[in-house]
Formats: sequence, C-alpha cells, structure tokens
Amino acid sequence: MLRLALKSLLANKIRFALTTSTVVIGVGFVVASFVVADSLRASFDQLSEDIVSGTDFTVRGQLAFGDLTETEPPLLDDDLADQVAAVDGVESAAGTFFVPDVTPVDGAGEAVTSNAGPVAGSNWTEDESISQWYLMEGERPRGTGQFAIDISTFGSYDFELGRDYQVITPTGPRSLTLTGVMQFGFPDNAGLGAVFTIFGTAAAQELFGIEGKVQSIGVRTEPGRDPAEMQAAIAAVLPDGAEVVAAETISEEFSDTFEGFIGIFQNALLVFAFIVLFVSTFIISNTFSIVLGQRIRELSLLRAIGATPAQVRRSVLTESSLIGVAAAALGIGLGMLGALGMRGLFGALGADLPDGPLPLRMRTVIWAAALGIGLTVASSLLPAIKASRTPPIAGLAEGAAGAAAARQRWRPVAGGALAGLGLLLTLRGLFASFDSTTAQLVSLGVGAGLVFLAVAVLSPLMARSVVSALALPLGRIFGTSGRLARANAARSPRRTAATAVALTIGLALVTTVAILGQSLKSSFSRSLQTTVAADFIVSQGQESLPAALAEDLRAAGAGRVVAFNSVQAQVDGQTKTLTGADLGDIASVANLGVVEGSLDGLDPAGALLLHQDPAGDYGVGPGDELDFAFPNGETRRLRVAAVYTQTATFWGNWLVDRDLVTEMSPVAGDTVVAIDAGAADAEGVRAALERALEGYPQVALEDRSEYQASAESNLNTLLVLVNVFLGFALLIALVGIVNTLTLSVFERTREIGLLRAVGMTRRQARRMIRWEAAVVTLYGALLGIALGLGFGAAIAAAIPADIIDVITVPATQLVGYVALSLVFGLLAALFPAFRAGRMNVLEAISTED
Amino acid sequence: MIDTTIRAVAAEAVGATKIYGSGDTEVRALDAIDVSFQEGRFTAIMGPSGSGKSTLMHCMAGLDTVTDGQVFIGDTDLSTLSERDLTLLRRDQVGFVFQAFNLVPTLTAIENITLPLDLAGADGDRGWIDEVVDTTGLGDRVKHRPNELSGGQQQRVAVARALAGKPQIIFADEPTGNVDSNTGAEILDFMGRAVTEMGQTIVMVTHDAAVAARADRVVFLVDGKIVDELADPTPEGIRDRMNRLGT
Repeated sequence: MLRLALKSLLANKIRFALTTSTVVIGVGFVVASFVVADSLRASFDQLSEDIVSGTDFTVRGQLAFGDLTETEPPLLDDDLADQVAAVDGVESAAGTFFVPDVTPVDGAGEAVTSNAGPVAGSNWTEDESISQWYLMEGERPRGTGQFAIDISTFGSYDFELGRDYQVITPTGPRSLTLTGVMQFGFPDNAGLGAVFTIFGTAAAQELFGIEGKVQSIGVRTEPGRDPAEMQAAIAAVLPDGAEVVAAETISEEFSDTFEGFIGIFQNALLVFAFIVLFVSTFIISNTFSIVLGQRIRELSLLRAIGATPAQVRRSVLTESSLIGVAAAALGIGLGMLGALGMRGLFGALGADLPDGPLPLRMRTVIWAAALGIGLTVASSLLPAIKASRTPPIAGLAEGAAGAAAARQRWRPVAGGALAGLGLLLTLRGLFASFDSTTAQLVSLGVGAGLVFLAVAVLSPLMARSVVSALALPLGRIFGTSGRLARANAARSPRRTAATAVALTIGLALVTTVAILGQSLKSSFSRSLQTTVAADFIVSQGQESLPAALAEDLRAAGAGRVVAFNSVQAQVDGQTKTLTGADLGDIASVANLGVVEGSLDGLDPAGALLLHQDPAGDYGVGPGDELDFAFPNGETRRLRVAAVYTQTATFWGNWLVDRDLVTEMSPVAGDTVVAIDAGAADAEGVRAALERALEGYPQVALEDRSEYQASAESNLNTLLVLVNVFLGFALLIALVGIVNTLTLSVFERTREIGLLRAVGMTRRQARRMIRWEAAVVTLYGALLGIALGLGFGAAIAAAIPADIIDVITVPATQLVGYVALSLVFGLLAALFPAFRAGRMNVLEAISTED
Repeated sequence: MIDTTIRAVAAEAVGATKIYGSGDTEVRALDAIDVSFQEGRFTAIMGPSGSGKSTLMHCMAGLDTVTDGQVFIGDTDLSTLSERDLTLLRRDQVGFVFQAFNLVPTLTAIENITLPLDLAGADGDRGWIDEVVDTTGLGDRVKHRPNELSGGQQQRVAVARALAGKPQIIFADEPTGNVDSNTGAEILDFMGRAVTEMGQTIVMVTHDAAVAARADRVVFLVDGKIVDELADPTPEGIRDRMNRLGT
C-alpha cells in the first residue's frame, strides 16, 4: 500500500504541491512564531543575567502592593549605600538607577528614540561590575556637564566624542559634553534597541531631579562568605521599606518579566498561525474529497480485485501522512525564513526586534511535525473512510466522478447544533466574567471556531441558490460563457461551499478587525471632540514626557497648561489607577460633566474628583473622604470635591492632584500635557508653545485633529500588522481556489473539449473558468463579511464603553474587500483557465471519463 | 434512381496526408487522400479499425490538421487558418455529432441545441430552430437537462445542435454507436430527413453496414487510402465490398 500511495502522489505532482503548500504555510507560520519568540528569549535571558552579574545582592525599596512590572520601587536614600558597604564582609556597594525619559539629541538634531527598548538615563559606578557600565572609549563623564552614551546608539547615530550635545533630562534640556562610550554587561552584549545616556552618580541625581536618592544598591560580598549570613547581616542595617534580595532572584524576576511579554507576543503570533492552519484544514480535506471522488474507478477496481476497505483506507491515510511529513519538513524550512521576514516586517512597522541567532528548539520541531502530519491525516480521515466504502461496482456506473450527492439530512441538524454551541461559547467569552484572560480567550476562540465549522456544514445547503442568484448577471454580460460559469459554480454546492469557506473565515476575521478598528477610531474621535476641550496636546508616543517640560510650557505664558500623570493606589484593598492633573485648571482642558459638587474654588491638595461609577460603588459624594495606600507604603486621605460623568483617554475614573502623584512616584514623567489657548489667538499661542518646546525635539505639539490623526496612525500600524498576518489565511484560501478549480477543470476535460469542438474559443473557455472562480470567491467573501459584521459588532459591544461606545461599519473598506476578493478569484483562475484554454480538443473529446 | 444534379462541393480533401511520429515509429494515418463531399448528400465513411476514418473526419472538420495536402470547407482552405479561426469555422460552418458525451450536462436540451449560436452571440434563424426542435420530437422535454433524457433523445438533441446553425457540413462520428438498434434507426431517420427534407450535408463515420446503408454514398478507407466507393448502397452490397476488401 505504501508503494501505491507513493505512486499516486508522484502521478499527481501539481495536486501534491498545491495540497502540501497550504500545510507548509501554516506550519511555517507556527515555526516562525516560536523561533522569533525563542530568539527574543535568548537575547533577554542574557540581559537578565548581565543586569546583576558581578553583584551578589541588591538592596531596593519594598513595594507595598502590586509588582515591579507596573510600578517602580520607592527610592532609597543614597547614604544607605555607605551603611551597607560598612557591613562586615561586604566588599563593595553602590547605588544605581535607570530613569526613563532621558533623550539625547544627535549632531544632526535628531532626538534618539527607540521603538524596541527604553530610552533611559543611568549612572556608572567606580566598581564597574556593580553598575555593569564598562567604558569602551573616551573617559567617564564627571560632573553635571558631561555624559556618556551606550555603544550601539553611538554607532547608529551621529555622535562624536568631545562635542556638546543636547540631552533632554527630567529637569529639562541640557547642553552636555560627550566624553565616553560605554557598554552594558560584559562581554559583548546587544543593545536590544535601548538608548542609554550615562552620568556620574551625583550628576545623574541632580539631572534626574532625585537628589540624595538611588533606585537600588548593588552589593558584592567578599569571596567565601556564606550568602545566608550576609543577607541577614545586610538586612539588619536596612530601614523599614527596604529589602535585600539575592542576585539570582533579581535575575529571575527580570527573566520572568521579559518572559511575560515574550509569552504574550509568542501567543499572539501563534493565534494567527493556528488560524492559518485551521483554514488549510478545510482546503486539504476538500482536495482529498475531490481527488478520491475522481479516483473512484481506480478505487473500485482495487476493491474488485480484492482490496479490503481497510487496505483502501490505509492507502489513502499513507498518502496523507506522506504529504504531512513533506509539509512539516518544508514548513520548518519556510518557518526559519519566515522568522527573518517577521523581524523585517516588525522593523518596517517601526517595532525593531533584536538581531541574534534564530534558535530552532526541539519543542518547535515537535509542534511542526505534530501539526503538519496530524492535521493532514485528520483532514483526510473522512474522505478516506468514504473511499473505503466504495463498492467494487462503483466504477461501472456512468458519470461517477463529481456526481451530485444525495440530500444530506444530517446537515441542518449538525450545523444548527454547532452554530448554537459556537454562539453560546462566543457570547460567554465576550460577556461572562472570567478569572483568567486565557480562559476567556479560549472560550471566545473555540466558540468562533465552532461557528466557522457550522458555516462550513450549513453552507452547502444554500450555496446553489445563493451562487445562482449572485451569478445571474453573468449570462447577460458574457453570454454563454457567463451562463456556463454560473452553472458550473452551482453544480456541486458542497465543493463550492468547501472552496469558499477558507475565504469566508479569512474575510470574517479581516472584517471583524476592520469594524473594531473603525469603532475604536470613531469612539476615540468622539471622546476627544466632546470631552477634551484642550486646543493643543503635547505627547511623545507611548513614552512619558520629562517632568520639566510642563514647567517650560507654563513659563512661555501662553494658554493654560495642564499636565497629566498617573500612579497606582489601593482603595479598600483594590488597586486603582489614579490620574494626576493640575486640578486648578482642569476645567479649561476637560469637559468633565460634573454632576455633584463643583470645581470652583477647588483646593487641589487633598482633593479627589471621582467618576460617578466608583462614586456609586463606594457610596460617596462631595465632602466624603476615602483612604488611599500607595506603592511606596505611604497612605493619604483624600476628600471628594466633585463627581463627574465623562472620561477620556487622558484620564480615567479617579482624578487627583499632579503633585501628589509626583510625590508618590518621583521618576515617572507626565503622560500628556494639554493646553487651552483660552480667548487668545490660537496661532499665536501655538508659536509661543513651539518656541518653548525647541529644546524637546522628541515631543509632538498637536491640535486635537492632529493628535487624533497620529493616534489613528499608530492604530493603523497595528491594523496593518494584523491584516498582514490574516493575509496568510487569505493566501491559503487563494491556493484552495486554485486547487479546486484545477481539479474541476481536469474533471471536466471531456466537457470542455466538447465545448471547444462545437466552437467555444479559447478566450471564451478561459472566461468561463475565470468567472466561475469569481462567483465562488464572491460567495465566500459575502458570507465572510456577513459573519465578520456579526463578530465585530458583538466584540465591539462587549468592549467597555470608555474604549468603544459607537459601533461603526467601514462600508467603503468592506466594499473594497469584496472587490478585492473578485480580483482574487480571477487571479486564482489564471492557471486553471490557462489549462482549460490550452486543452487539446481531440485528446479531450477522446478521453475516457 | 441516380442523382444527376450537379451539386456544389461542401467539403473537399486534396492530397490530404496525416503522419504521426517519425522514423521507425512513423504511422501514415492518411495517405494522400482526395475526396469531396457534395452539398445535400449523406455520405458514410467506412473502414476497419485503424483505417484512418476518424482521422479523416477530424481533419476535414478542423479538429485536427493535416501534415500535407489541403482541406477545404466550402472555399476555405483550412491549412491557412489560425487556431482561433479554426474554432470560429467549427462554430459557424461545421456541425458535430459524437458517439457519446455530446451534451453539456449543465445546459438544458434547448440550450445545448443553440450552444454554437449562443457562443457566436448570434440569434440564428428562429423559424429554422423551431423546425429543428420540432423534428426532434422532444416536445416539452427540451427544457430538461441531458441526464433526464434517454440515450436516443440525447443523440437527437446532438443532431439538432449540429443542424441549428445551418452549417456547411455536419460530421457524425458513430452517432448510433452507443444506443440500441431501434434507437439507432430513430436517429438515422432523423439524420436522413435532415438531408432530404432540410437539404443538409452530412458525413458519417461508422463501421456498421446497416447504418452505412442509410447514406447516399459510402466511401471505403483502408490504411489511410480510399480504396472504393459505392452509391445508393444496400447493406448486402456494403458487406460484399467489405468482404472483398478483406476485412
């Protein structure tokens, strides 16, 4: 049977190649996802080790709650480093920090920013192994007039030792002399896209506005000391709110933090990979059904000469296993290339991934093999069982191949059950509350998968009538070839449905994304136009702004300046995000919709503005007080000054004074600064603001519509990325259409030969095949868009109203998708149509069917 | 009765030669054949298997090309035509009836009948088409798909399709080969009426003497050459000739 399976594969090379290619793309995607994530892991594991190599312990502030991925630990007094250094057995101890929002401006006047890593300031220590900053060139920066820069930034931007450059620090822009080039970690360590400026400790404290403070203290003990004893000895000199942690623990914490992000990244990629595999399963199954239907004579001959049903089944399954093995092997190869392509894609969209080796781990290979072989064999299972039931006399019946199947009563029942269950799970995933996001996504994903299966089961029931209706104009436009295209598209509803379903799934997902994207944009725009009253907005992408920037703007004396920042705090043991703002002026930039209390004569210190939802939850109103605990262990009692109804992206449900946030979280900058021009001439205000911002080339000053446009362009980048990945599912659908059509043309050799003999021109024959494909794709596309509309609306409805409150359908875009699908179908038909046109008439009419 | 009318020639082969392969494997399927088919006549081509009768028909009908010599449909020299012009010639000037698989399964009987006209985007002669459809005796069944028709009905639809465009000439390849003798007689009656009553020209390939006897003239082919012919044949006369030709 193995020989038979091999022969059968070799005899049908094109079919083999097409079937395999769908699995190869899916498996390749899975492999690329793992490889890219593993490459990131390798880079960041190295970084996690470097961060603490050379030290044995780290002393740091304790968080009262929350974790270090979201909140910076409270700062320590820097004389603590001397106390720790004085502990018996400690060889050396020094304070270090990493402060965000320290941006150098290179010789070309370009602010050095990064899409891949932080843009941060740090300090070097006398004992290099503690700060991990090693001097590579020049001299160490000393005093507040000098700085050093990390070696990868030095290499990629216009910098020269000994020259003065602008560095934007939390205390404002400074002109500093570049004295050295430094490298983090040793030996050679990739910069991972981060941008670092390095200063001496005292200078850094002054520039960063944290005089007398350090973020953590690195400690190295004398060789041979007992770690447990040393840890206890250091802990003994620490004040409350500080802790001493072993270097390995810190390294693991970093590693876990990185793994958290990398895991999310990897799983997001895998979701797309599984979508592609899911879609290709339909294609493979369809191909096997058609091919086995065409081979019914051969199979019945086998049965007639004594092959048992089990042998026939085995032969088919052997054939699919061979395809699976080939697909898995090719998929691994393609995946390695795909990983490079993926890096390039992320880079092109402005999110650079670190270079580095692309590791192919055993786990990746096992997944590739299991998916490639497993899915192929699973998809051929039903066709194989059907083939094994071929009666020995089947081949004698006329027109056996492609014969219309009897009405299948199980379809409406099974389809209905699948649809019901699928919808239930989808809606549960959207609207029920879950303990974990994973459980929610699984419910949603399985639900959507079942809905797609239901569509695949039910689609043949309506394919004939829908396709006939859609193709009605073809006869009028293209005459006979149009009418024949219509008839051919409708002749086997099961095949048409199975061919279209891949496109349906792909377009359903693309449509869902389009609706969500559009709804996000229009909700954002509405919120911006109605709740934000500011004339201008200063921001720096996702990065925070240097604290000094708001002061510089205020000093320009143009308009009212309100800066926003944020901090986590606990109320009644629940963690909330507090937005800090200059409360005295907030009414000029925000339409809060105050319903209780008033903003007039507000004393910002100790005041709390509360959204009506939490006000209701906690049963408080103006004049009532609530207690807040902050991550640094401090607590505050705040008095409700007003209750409001409107939130926006700039602020959430809890508004407090900005100074309070700065006090609790000193290194965090402002998220955004809003300016109200008031009665003054907007252009004049803008000019004044622009002058004040001259020292900050990395930030953007925008009016509301410009701000909206750049926010939308960020979203668009994400949408492009998602659509590129979903595009692979559409690519599979294209292959599926080519595949089915090629097989159909082969199956109809005699018929096409007859048509050609009685006078159908090549052009007419090609047109007939092309429009058949166009009709099938149109059917798949419309079904997909209908499903996508449903999914998109349901998901949009499930998303909280402060993110999406209007559901918008991007009609033009959807019409574009339909048009694109038509082009798609016509493209898919190029090869089969060419074959139909080139068919030798004499051979065709003498072919035994 | 001997037909003495001088008739125009519907199709003609002059020195038509068809060679397959080369060297040792060379096969001369047609060997310098000269033959002409007159308008309004029903001609049968007979010969044993491999005599080249199907090849002759394919070459005369523009489905295949000759290696040497010329083939004319009316005044048109087929060897000068491009693939596209050959297709248009088949569509507009030639009718076909094959042994089996004559009809497009997705089209109804009437749609199959008007297929060449529809492909040409022509309306055709309505009165003529109605007459042809009437003659098939299918009645309301012309709105049915081929798989709902009997074998005889399917072949009559095929003949009707060949007639619908009033072609110069109709080629039929064993039109009764796949049906029982009663049905075969029915189809031959229909073809005979097309010639006598409608003035059509039919060339039919067959190996059955009883079938060939329905023609006005029989041409005998052996090894790619025309070896004999017979006017106003009878089955006995044909069998006699065939026996003499040693087949």
